[in-house]
Amino acid sequence: MAIEYGLNEEQEMLKTMARDFLANECPMTRVRELMEDDTGFSQDLWKKMAEVGWLGLVLPEEYGGAGMNFRDLTILLEEMGRTVLPSPFISTLLLVGMPVLTHGTEEQRNEILPKIASGEAVCTLAALEEDGDWWADSINLRADYRGGQYVINGTKLFVPDAKVADYMLIAARTKRTENPEEGITLFLLDTSEVFGTMSTTLKTMDETRKQYEVVFLNVPVSARNILGELDQGWPIMKEIALHTTAALCAEMVGAGDKVLEMTVDYLKERVAFGVVIGSFQALQHRAADMVIGLEYSRSLMEWAAEAIKENHPDTATAVSMAKSFCGDTCKKVVAEGIQMHGGIGFTWDHDMHLYFKRVWASDNAFGDSNYHRELVAKALDDIHQLAGHGRWMKTTGRMIPMG
Amino acid sequence: MVAVEPGKLDALRQDVRAWLKANLPEGWGSPGYVAPERGTKEAYELGKAWQKKLYDTGYTGFGIPAEYGGIERSREEIAVIRDEMTRTGTPPPAASLGPMIVIPTLLRYGNEEQKKRFIPKILSGEETWCECFSEPDAGSDLANIQKTGVRDGDEWIVTGQSVWTSSSKFADWGVLPVKTDPQAPRHRNLSYFVFDCKSPGFEVRPLKQMTGDAEFSETFFDGMRVPHENMIGEEGQGWYVAMATLEAERGGGIQFVAPSRRIEPTTLGGVDNYVELAKNTKRRGKTVWEDPLFRQRIAQFAIENEAMRHSRVRMRIKAMKRQLTGNEQSIGSVFSREKNQRQANMVAEIMGTNIQFMRGDERALDDGTWAYTFLRTRGNTIETGTTEVNRGIIAERILGLPRNRI
Repeated sequence: MAIEYGLNEEQEMLKTMARDFLANECPMTRVRELMEDDTGFSQDLWKKMAEVGWLGLVLPEEYGGAGMNFRDLTILLEEMGRTVLPSPFISTLLLVGMPVLTHGTEEQRNEILPKIASGEAVCTLAALEEDGDWWADSINLRADYRGGQYVINGTKLFVPDAKVADYMLIAARTKRTENPEEGITLFLLDTSEVFGTMSTTLKTMDETRKQYEVVFLNVPVSARNILGELDQGWPIMKEIALHTTAALCAEMVGAGDKVLEMTVDYLKERVAFGVVIGSFQALQHRAADMVIGLEYSRSLMEWAAEAIKENHPDTATAVSMAKSFCGDTCKKVVAEGIQMHGGIGFTWDHDMHLYFKRVWASDNAFGDSNYHRELVAKALDDIHQLAGHGRWMKTTGRMIPMG
Repeated sequence: MVAVEPGKLDALRQDVRAWLKANLPEGWGSPGYVAPERGTKEAYELGKAWQKKLYDTGYTGFGIPAEYGGIERSREEIAVIRDEMTRTGTPPPAASLGPMIVIPTLLRYGNEEQKKRFIPKILSGEETWCECFSEPDAGSDLANIQKTGVRDGDEWIVTGQSVWTSSSKFADWGVLPVKTDPQAPRHRNLSYFVFDCKSPGFEVRPLKQMTGDAEFSETFFDGMRVPHENMIGEEGQGWYVAMATLEAERGGGIQFVAPSRRIEPTTLGGVDNYVELAKNTKRRGKTVWEDPLFRQRIAQFAIENEAMRHSRVRMRIKAMKRQLTGNEQSIGSVFSREKNQRQANMVAEIMGTNIQFMRGDERALDDGTWAYTFLRTRGNTIETGTTEVNRGIIAERILGLPRNRI
């Protein structure tokens, strides 16, 4: 298996192109405008993203995609993180496009994927409910089989981009057994054909990424709309979480890098006590800690993306390690960004709080740092049991027999 | 990528395994094996003999040109050799300083003659090295070195004192920056020498540390003569040569990490010992491993070790693309050294009252290794430049923040 650290020539080009594109098409003034909008969505920007091939970046060419890989995708996501881009990009491609590609029927793929690539369709996933927790037991939205079809009733929360979504993937409870991971079914709805749903914008912290409450009242769905198998939706959800978690890591690293740059620029120009504040050792060392944290965040993020690309057996652990570390570190970086900017960093008009809020929201999504660290501990347990009967004391050169 | 047929690697793996079986010290890896005590002549000789065996078989010196005793091997081969050595463990090297810091310094600043004279004997373990850098008043402020070197014909006469000299007890050779031009400004007044530790006028006095060991020494130079041909780099260039040495040291030998792009299986990231310790330590009827607080902390170290592993490869590849300035070593230096200390603190907290037992008390777990490490890691954040000095390097040379001192 070939693991590529750093970027190859093509990836360097993608990065440069992405940075230029976003600087032109979505400068911070535009981000602010979209924050004010109830949907946070710009049709014009979406079309342009389709034109440069981003919306189908990792979809095969037969569906109008660019056929690139997951590591390439994280390069775009990093750049999007740098500009706290308000866009249903992750919702569309990661939450729906990729799972439809892997688990959809040919009919589903043909219907949706070309529309995603061309910018005709915005998609999203309705997964979380009242407790906001990413685990199977929390999924209680009911889909009951009645008269040859499923009828959905209940409420979903924290649904990103629901108001602009043309297709919505819904995680519903079709069966309750002792094992909460069983009996979850994914339904893929064309929102223009469905009646009985109501989306309300949630007043949430990160206004660059709009979230909604979606209420389902006797919404009828046909069995044709199931993605994957009946009752077997959870493994697909886990795969969605894996990919999206890695995507959020890339976004967080991009945001962290940008905050570091802004902070260092500020340290070089802000004068206090007659000198630029960047000459103060107390601030220099804190800036150095931001560099250190971001180096290791990037290392784990790149490894997680490579592992997904290569379908490596350690992918789940790699992603959990990345999420745990990037989450902790980037939260610290954005907090330091505000502190080191002083009063101006605490104002609404300064951009620091946009990064702060985005990173905190991303850390919460799909399990926070502590959640993923516990998953790593579980993995250690498994590996430890495989490792055998003794432990090696490298320092003394002795094998210590276990009791 | 260097292509190697899989079959060929299997053969190499078998070779390395058989070789290890035949060459590791008698009883190695068995419960009855007792390693020689750290810092003793016996431990030193064992490490030296081991280095010689590695060298004779071509299991060391990767990536160093053949004319200096090195050997060219593909990344895959190096990975296989390292895997197998990691699997069994090997005796600790007698003096890691030679390969880790002297070879990179010589490769960068040494002349042809010097490289041919010194590098092969470092690789073979025949000559071990010490590092005479710090002085009582020149630690973090290394440029303040006061040892003087006065030219006398073809020789330099060195007078002064070093402290915290590493590996000096049994070393054959040393590296030594001295002030050769007292009139020149800072950073232009030093020259860098290698010297024979048997030279008259050189004296070593052990310096006992808080661990109770005397792993470092104070060294004294009383009119010691060094031939001019032993100067590394140009006269007056010593500060920059010394910085090359420190960069190599801070990177912990990063230049010898095989730039393998192979994804190795996720290891326990060196935390297997902690998992084991936590599982075997009970508090009020429950193992420490069941305590979420400690689970989180141990998992955090697995994450950090994995991050360091990937960062090192990233750095190595940057170095190959010549995108590395050397200042980046300070990133890993701060992170890994503080991590060592945090790890040792955690172990002490897992062990609780029992961390107090030192080597020599039969109740000491693993011969007191944990207690020793706990104390030894206090030095980690000071040696090779304090973590504060390294943060300063990151701030000034990577981020370009203004200097805050003269």
